[in-house]
Amino acid sequence: MTDAVLVASGVHKQYGSTLALRGVDLTVHRGELFGLLGPNGAGKTTFMSILAGLAEPSAGSVTLFGVGSGSRDRDLRKKIGLATQDLAVYPELTARENLEFFGRMYGMRGVALRDRVAEMLAAVELTDRADDRAGTFSGGMKRRLNLAVAVVHGPELLLLDEPTTGVDPQSRNHIFERVKALNAAGMTVVYTSHYMEEVQTLCPRIAVLDGGKVLACDTLGNLLKLRPAKLRVRFSGGDGWAGRLAAIPGVTAVSPDGDGFELRVDDLPTACARVAVATGESLVALDPDPPTLERVFLHLTGKALRD
Amino acid sequence: MTPTLTIALKDLRLLLRDPRSAVILLVMPLLLILVLGLALGDAFGAKPDDRIRISVVNLDAGLPSDHGPFPPGTWSEQVLADLTDTADIRVENIRTEEEALQLVRRGDRSAVVVFGPKFSEYAHRCSFVDEPFKKDPINPLFRDGVQTSALDVKFLVNPTQPVAASVIQQVVQVTLLRVVIPWMIGQAFDMIGTDPFMERMEKHIPELKLAYPFVSKKKLGKGIQDGISAFFSQYSFRAKTWAGLTKSEPPVPRAENRTAYEAGDSGVFGLNRGAARYQILVPSYTVTFAFFLVLTVGWLFVAERRHGTLVRLRAAPLDRWQILLGKLIPCLAVSLFQGFFLLVCGKLVFGMSWGPEPWLIVPVVASTSFAAVGLATLVAGVARTETQVAVYGTMLVLVLAGVSGSLMPRDLMPEQMRQISLVTPHAWALEAYSQLLGNPEPQTDLVWKSCGVLTAFGAAFSLLAWWRMRLD
Repeated sequence: MTDAVLVASGVHKQYGSTLALRGVDLTVHRGELFGLLGPNGAGKTTFMSILAGLAEPSAGSVTLFGVGSGSRDRDLRKKIGLATQDLAVYPELTARENLEFFGRMYGMRGVALRDRVAEMLAAVELTDRADDRAGTFSGGMKRRLNLAVAVVHGPELLLLDEPTTGVDPQSRNHIFERVKALNAAGMTVVYTSHYMEEVQTLCPRIAVLDGGKVLACDTLGNLLKLRPAKLRVRFSGGDGWAGRLAAIPGVTAVSPDGDGFELRVDDLPTACARVAVATGESLVALDPDPPTLERVFLHLTGKALRD
Repeated sequence: MTPTLTIALKDLRLLLRDPRSAVILLVMPLLLILVLGLALGDAFGAKPDDRIRISVVNLDAGLPSDHGPFPPGTWSEQVLADLTDTADIRVENIRTEEEALQLVRRGDRSAVVVFGPKFSEYAHRCSFVDEPFKKDPINPLFRDGVQTSALDVKFLVNPTQPVAASVIQQVVQVTLLRVVIPWMIGQAFDMIGTDPFMERMEKHIPELKLAYPFVSKKKLGKGIQDGISAFFSQYSFRAKTWAGLTKSEPPVPRAENRTAYEAGDSGVFGLNRGAARYQILVPSYTVTFAFFLVLTVGWLFVAERRHGTLVRLRAAPLDRWQILLGKLIPCLAVSLFQGFFLLVCGKLVFGMSWGPEPWLIVPVVASTSFAAVGLATLVAGVARTETQVAVYGTMLVLVLAGVSGSLMPRDLMPEQMRQISLVTPHAWALEAYSQLLGNPEPQTDLVWKSCGVLTAFGAAFSLLAWWRMRLD
């Protein structure tokens, strides 16, 4: 994972008086499934537009595959697949026609194109509806087609901007599976979302973006360490529990919480086991509160992700 | 296949699958032409003609077998030639008496002259003299001129148009006199000095015989004939034609004054195929609706933005010109198809004429389409939503159509307004069509000039559109 596919350095983007990006620095390596987490208006789509060559940074630079994204290099564009937040398929064309059209836009022809289109239709489970117009599809089917169109030309880097907006859970899971499969096949993926659960489920490395700035960028595990896990415990009686709990290895802090205590722990499963052993039959309730990106985001920004 | 062509084929497919385009570009103009064609009278679009039109049914069976050297053709031909060549009257030939009767009854013709089958035979028997000088002579003259019934000539008259019918009858009367009288004079003059003539003279002047020992009867007869000729020195009594009788230059034949009545399909839904109004309605609405392409192109661009597919195209390894050109090629193709489709329908459905130089319609349609596509692209570059396209586009197209005179015959516009209208491409297209479809001898230089101006309009619109068009 040392081969950098994407290097963003001090990227600013200004629209009139609005500063959409404020010095974004990011590096994504070949084969990564990289998450960009942030609320609406954080600057995710702006950043993706710059990566896709649809917009120029006001300041700073973006390098993709070693080439500046502003060069509009045709070979570079062929290496990139884009699935925008909005559905970007022709509703009057069939699924097959959409795939064939965009395949041709990237220079695909003949049997190779035909085979690739069939492969994509099968991959997103639209073979049965291949010759139906996209306008007749459900929201989930359109999203799947949207993803297939983005990768029909076999890009090395896939930019997915909120690809599950407005889809049912079944289609969402299907998209997750496809993204994982594409990544497993070697495709580098940058996945933006304001759904914490999606990014947490899919992406081993995540950047948290808010107000046009990257607040944190690390592996999921390291990010979660920014806010340690909590454990709430209650006892049937006895005194001196605060001191006894603080002495348990892995417990970093103890504070009163109603009729019990709130513990901060390094490793939640281990801490649960140790607390249970140390407190014995006096333990009435053990309520683990694992670390989440939601809490990390709250910690970093002072606001909830969905605010 | 190049990306441009791929985009073009895709957009053509989208256009074909969008019923709005077909309705606006093809169905609506045809409907309007149909409705207006039914609603407007025959006078709409008919050009004022200085020449009087005499409608004729010629059933003349020809001259008798022993007719002699004069006239060279039938007597009805003599009459028609006099009408067209001497009086510069437009003669319209109607095939059958039944057809003429229908036209008169409908009020389409105030009067029709019918030359019966025996017209030549009777005209040939017209004579000032009786038997034995002329066998079965007919005297057609009476107080009011020529007694037409005596010559197997009749008038079919619409009683609701007595004045117009009377004018036609008087014109025919004068022509008949001009044809029959020189013939009757000529025949009579040829007989002066002949033996039967001298014998008749001897009955009135018995002393005439006393001169024969000194001068022969033949010489005496010729002397009388020559004497009369000399006395009427300004006339040639033997000529048998009006020009000859009056010693005038014979008139120049004017074939252009002869036309044949072409029956329209007025019976089928009252279309009246071939009526003059279609020569104006079809090109007017072809031009007006060519510019309704503004809506189609506008919607095509707006839809590309709305569907987000324009973003995909911009992200693809394509240049801006490839995307724009790919979108404009099908629009131009649709516009060309629309132009030719409406003109073909104009001919097949409405019976319009493509004029004497139909091939020149091709550059007019092409340059009009180019101008329309340019304007449409400009509007597409400015409008951001479908509503904007519909409102701005419709307003623009209707205002331009109104200013240009597409919604009325340009001939009805005041001269000043006609000049002002030339700021619109529509007016130039209509000027070209007016030459090609309305002028029997089109001025091709004016047609080419119009095509040039339309092309310039198209180029200017396209350049502005290229400058204004934003793909983001």
